[in-house]
Amino acid sequence: MGFKYIGKKATRPNVLERVTGKAIFVDDIRLPQMLYAKILYPKYAHAKILSIDTSEAEKMPGVVKVVTGKGIKHPYGDCLHDRVPMAVDKVRYIGEPVAAVIADTERHARAALSKIKVEYEPLPVYTDALDAMKKDAVLIHENLDKYFYVTPLYKPTPGTNIALSYEIKKGDIEEGIKQADVIVEKEFVFHHMSSVAIEPHTAIAMHHPNGMIEIWTANVGPFAVREQVAEFFGKNISDVRVHVPHIGGCFGYKSDPSIEPLTAYIASFVPGRPVKLKLTRTEDFTSTFIGRGIRAHVKVGATKDGKLTALEETLYLSTGAYADTGTNILIVSVQASGGVYYFPNAHVKGYSVYTNTPPVGALRAYGHPEAQFAIERMMDLLARKLNMSPIELRKKNFITEGKTNVVGEKFKASDGNLFKCLENVVEAIPPEEGNKEDDDYYYGVGYAGLIKAPKAATFASKGCHLKFNVDGTVSLNMSGGDVGQGLWTVARQIAAEALKMPPEKIRVYNEIDTQYSPWEWQTVGSMFTYQGGNAIIRAANKAIDILKKNASLVLDRDPDMLEYDGEYVYDRSYPDVRVAVKDICRGYVKPDGTTIGEIVNVTSYFRLPGVQNPDPETGMGRTGGSYTMGVQGVKLRINKHTGEIKVDHVATSIDVGKVIYPKGAEGQVLGGVVQGLGEALFEQIRFKENGVLENPNLIKYKIPRLEDIPDKFTIKFVETPDAIGPYGARGLGEHPVIGVPPAVVNAIYNAIGYDFYEVPVTSDMVKKALEEKGMLKEQSNKTAEASLSETVDRDKEG
Amino acid sequence: MQAVNVTLNGEKKTVYIEGGETLLDVLRENLELTGTKYGCGQGACGACTVVVNGEAVKSCMVLFRKLEGAEILTIEGISDGVHLHPIQKAFVDADAVHCGFCTPGIIMELYALFTKNPDASEEEIKKALNKHLCRCTGYLPLIEAAKLAQKYYKESLKEV
Repeated sequence: MGFKYIGKKATRPNVLERVTGKAIFVDDIRLPQMLYAKILYPKYAHAKILSIDTSEAEKMPGVVKVVTGKGIKHPYGDCLHDRVPMAVDKVRYIGEPVAAVIADTERHARAALSKIKVEYEPLPVYTDALDAMKKDAVLIHENLDKYFYVTPLYKPTPGTNIALSYEIKKGDIEEGIKQADVIVEKEFVFHHMSSVAIEPHTAIAMHHPNGMIEIWTANVGPFAVREQVAEFFGKNISDVRVHVPHIGGCFGYKSDPSIEPLTAYIASFVPGRPVKLKLTRTEDFTSTFIGRGIRAHVKVGATKDGKLTALEETLYLSTGAYADTGTNILIVSVQASGGVYYFPNAHVKGYSVYTNTPPVGALRAYGHPEAQFAIERMMDLLARKLNMSPIELRKKNFITEGKTNVVGEKFKASDGNLFKCLENVVEAIPPEEGNKEDDDYYYGVGYAGLIKAPKAATFASKGCHLKFNVDGTVSLNMSGGDVGQGLWTVARQIAAEALKMPPEKIRVYNEIDTQYSPWEWQTVGSMFTYQGGNAIIRAANKAIDILKKNASLVLDRDPDMLEYDGEYVYDRSYPDVRVAVKDICRGYVKPDGTTIGEIVNVTSYFRLPGVQNPDPETGMGRTGGSYTMGVQGVKLRINKHTGEIKVDHVATSIDVGKVIYPKGAEGQVLGGVVQGLGEALFEQIRFKENGVLENPNLIKYKIPRLEDIPDKFTIKFVETPDAIGPYGARGLGEHPVIGVPPAVVNAIYNAIGYDFYEVPVTSDMVKKALEEKGMLKEQSNKTAEASLSETVDRDKEG
Repeated sequence: MQAVNVTLNGEKKTVYIEGGETLLDVLRENLELTGTKYGCGQGACGACTVVVNGEAVKSCMVLFRKLEGAEILTIEGISDGVHLHPIQKAFVDADAVHCGFCTPGIIMELYALFTKNPDASEEEIKKALNKHLCRCTGYLPLIEAAKLAQKYYKESLKEV
């Protein structure tokens, strides 16, 4: 089938707003009578609040009100209702709001914060799940058994810090271990990291006299915000209205309600006036969501010819002070534990454990990079023990048609071709390029598979409002947040294809408003193209059906005898018997004014068919529904004198089913690979023992800059059409981040013969490893000078 | 209150400030020129970059009271919002704008670079871009856009 718009060059709708500075982001919004809030944070990461005295702060210039959490009656949440917008009688992490000042300006609000007096009784602080799980650990949540859990699948362990646990049992693990000739057992750590969108979190809230709560926020889950705010205030959901203007990047942490309930809580003390809460970059680290933070104990068995027989694994998520938003991260990491490989037997357990750190929430592909870092490192370790090439071992065990993953979902040929992806990557980065050295560098190559389902609630769906205008143009209204991934573009291309009209005739929405936009769950899980695309096709088909019905009244033909070409509806055997679409899109007006027919204004939706909650007993079930798979490879070199890691080439091959927007797809891979390199090499939120973040800013928490990108990227898409994706397409947005960390760490071993079991692996860590192995070489004078001048250069710029 | 006289986007302006405001504060809060963005407040991300007296500066690091007599140019000042500046057009054509939050700062950085030296080398272009953080694009599209911007800009000089 030839496509006219799908897979072709496209221009992003609304891009002109973004290059001219006219795109309105939340912090750009000014409302009449607006007030500003600043937040007071605790001195301790875990403490009882004994008293709060706000009287001095209230007397400060410009201060309208000082707000505390006193009086908050009940927690809220999505999966597990354990959250409060502001600390009530204890603080559980260092970024938790204790009080807020509302003032006429941000400066006045900030100035008054230091006048609030709080007395605390400090409690022991835990920053790692394993410490918080110790028998004598103090409880971070004392009333765990009283919290509401949305499904019985998520079980807390009352009297401990285990917020929930989950396990899957496939086949017979004891038998699997017995069949193994070789067993490898290791522990892996994927440290805490931040999404770091360049736009920090900001929200505005206002309580109207008519009972409405109105919120403006940069969040891709405005309907989730609406539900949780309504629940917290005991309002009807219809009485909460959430606006989402342009969003300055998401990468996960703007997908669950974060500061919106807090802002709405603060604003409830000054009804009738909007209150803006704009986080600083530091607060964006300490007081929204962080990501990753998983420790995995993994045991893998295989026969001597390299067939996997067993996977036994326990995962520990240091979920932070509130576990609600980490719920699915734990679940998904357990479900992703087998990666792209077939294990006939598996027993995988996961614990989400409260710690005195900021709550863990979504971060690009959450659960998948953590689990697949472990399994992809294991594949290399196992290959070494079997004296087999890591590439061969992977090929032998790929999930293929008819095989099942660890939750028992059977794969189809249409799910993708991993062999082709591997072939593409190995062709770009052949193994011979690694395990080499010259005077200054050790060279290594490494590979990793990747897989991800568009994970979401089983009922998650996307809606599409499609409206024909009287000039024959179309207004397309949806609720996907375009955070830069390009979904507006994809939506317009798919609509153009389905409606057979040029994209210029289709105006795509640029704001989400829960009052008018169609309901959708959240723009998460790399599923907009998949679900949203299908919703558009369904809506387009409905619209075309109505146009044909209307035309049949005008042309005296049965509707099924008519064709539609984007401009006309016509008799398929006598095409000159026709009526223009613009003349029948709000019914047909006869010459005498009498009007007949339907208005072409349709709504449609799409959700993944047949996705279910896992079985409460076995943890198994059809939990993914659709998968995108691929392979990544890395070539890097390590400086013999300094340990510095330089990534030269990253190759990515993903079976996306069908590329809809080529530049956008390529952009997602580039951005994802570079983010993955940051996670592999330097991104880590470091905690002191007292729970204070050591590096909550962009000077100390380094994210990749231009100087950090590889010299070469190879991107090859494989297009095995998906059974139900729009035009065969599958999700892609998060996937390119997944395989990079394990491929990098595998490549480091390939270069220097040293195994790391955690990410990030910094150049300092590699330098130490080289020292340990006696592989660190004396600096020649020439290179010493060169690297010194480079440092000076960077200092000047920094 | 203190009065500071500047030329802003080609217009003479007197701005009254309390004293401690940064250029970024004044642009966004006093003058409602919200195209310039706050990303970190520490000069690390470059989202707040504007052009002062022909040089790209991080507006979060500059005190406004020190700008008496300065010529300030922001993203709002390089086009009328309909007819694009060649650098803006290049970013559209190269598809280098994803979320767009870092874009105004990067465009102003390149504006300063190319107006000073239309023949800036690739190394100079990369050095300028390296002052900016972008989480979306992986930077490669930005390099392509910057090179295209240079081409468009030089063509526009010939046209005049």
